Amino acid sequence: MTLRKVEILVFLALTLVIAVPARAVASVLEAPFQEADGHDAAQEADEHRQNAGAEHAAEEAELDVVHHNSDSIYLDFSPFAIVELPRIFLVRRADDSIGVDFFWSTHAAVEAGGYLALEQEGDHGGILDAQLEPASGEIIMDFSITKHLVFAWIVMLMLLAAFLPLAARYKKGIGRETAPKGKFHNMLEALIVFVRNDIVRPSIGAKADKYVPYLLTAFLFILTSNLLGLFPFAAAATSNLMVTATLAMLSFVYTMMAGTKDYWKHIFWPPGIPILVKPILIPVEILGIFTKPFALAIRLFANMTAGHLVILSLIGLIFSFTNLFGPVVGWGVVPISVAFSLFIFLLEILVAIIQAYVFTMLSALFIGMAAAEHDHHEESHDHAQASLATVEAAS
Amino acid sequence: MDPSALAFLGAGLGAGLVALGTGLGIGRLAGPAMEASARQPEALGEIRTSMIIAAALIEGVALFGLVICIILAFK
Repeated sequence: MTLRKVEILVFLALTLVIAVPARAVASVLEAPFQEADGHDAAQEADEHRQNAGAEHAAEEAELDVVHHNSDSIYLDFSPFAIVELPRIFLVRRADDSIGVDFFWSTHAAVEAGGYLALEQEGDHGGILDAQLEPASGEIIMDFSITKHLVFAWIVMLMLLAAFLPLAARYKKGIGRETAPKGKFHNMLEALIVFVRNDIVRPSIGAKADKYVPYLLTAFLFILTSNLLGLFPFAAAATSNLMVTATLAMLSFVYTMMAGTKDYWKHIFWPPGIPILVKPILIPVEILGIFTKPFALAIRLFANMTAGHLVILSLIGLIFSFTNLFGPVVGWGVVPISVAFSLFIFLLEILVAIIQAYVFTMLSALFIGMAAAEHDHHEESHDHAQASLATVEAAS
Repeated sequence: MDPSALAFLGAGLGAGLVALGTGLGIGRLAGPAMEASARQPEALGEIRTSMIIAAALIEGVALFGLVICIILAFK
């Protein structure tokens, strides 16, 4: 019954992820900085080209930790293969018409002509890391399929594959009228019941069941993609700020929709506060509406990125020590490095689960705060006194 | 000296200070919460919930600091 909504929500979330592509946002953010040091750019490019030959050999072996974690336009299965992903551009052509360019890969885009690859300083993937510029006209928005989007889709498919059959089973009555059957069914039901009974219901209260579908979707999506990020060659969609921002935005929308009259009154005209304090408190309350989803997004993103960075940095120590003190010391560092990264890896499994829990819990709490019907303060005072009286009478 | 070196220095020091402050804050929060739930195990759920809310608020402030550090480090 609720799975229809689950599908729609996952779909909506991902559409938004496409609509706000990280690359487009990044290019907007970087534009002013590029202009600022534009005069050096040509000179630097020349130097870079001269050094490129010498540095190339060194760069081949370099392990760029940040680059490995950031979003890219190819799936990196090296040393076996690199799978390029389709490039889709919304472009304004030279004659001012707007069109869509579609290529199956970055190489195809360059080989077909019409697109130039601008290599940037610090890139070492060649054409794959280069920024594509059309020979004529300009790119309005870059809708290219990226690594994190692909893994978000994989998570979505995994969830649909697991939960559509489960929904069909519940419709037939297995699990509702009888006990759940089979390991798979029991396992998933345990998760669902955990989210409903331990996270959503205590945080939201009477109207909780209305919000279970969304929060369950968020929980499962985050949990699955966090855990998927720990597999070799895979990436966590949640280590992309745009994905977490989308999830946080959905939580924000739900919070706004859940808001009762009391909630808004407490923000715009907090009762029981001296009138002179109100001008200070009201802006703080309004700011508080927006900082909550912002913190949700950054928290998930930072936690997922930091763990991967630490693991890769610890592995990178082997290479650093080999470069500094020679291969013998390098080999000596291997056991220490592997042991530490294994420890962090196990910690990451814990963090993956905790972050999914925390995101769901906080979303539920925010929705619960907005949805709560406040008693009037005098009444609640009476309540307190009444309950105190009962306690005294009982003792 | 390259002036951007100071930005990197600031980002590094800032990240350390953020970690220090958050660690102190959450430590002060979690310790008494543990004690409280050891004294009254039946109130575990409520204590945990209010602990997570407060921890999230502390962490939120820390994340703002961290974002500034990241901006400094990358630009």
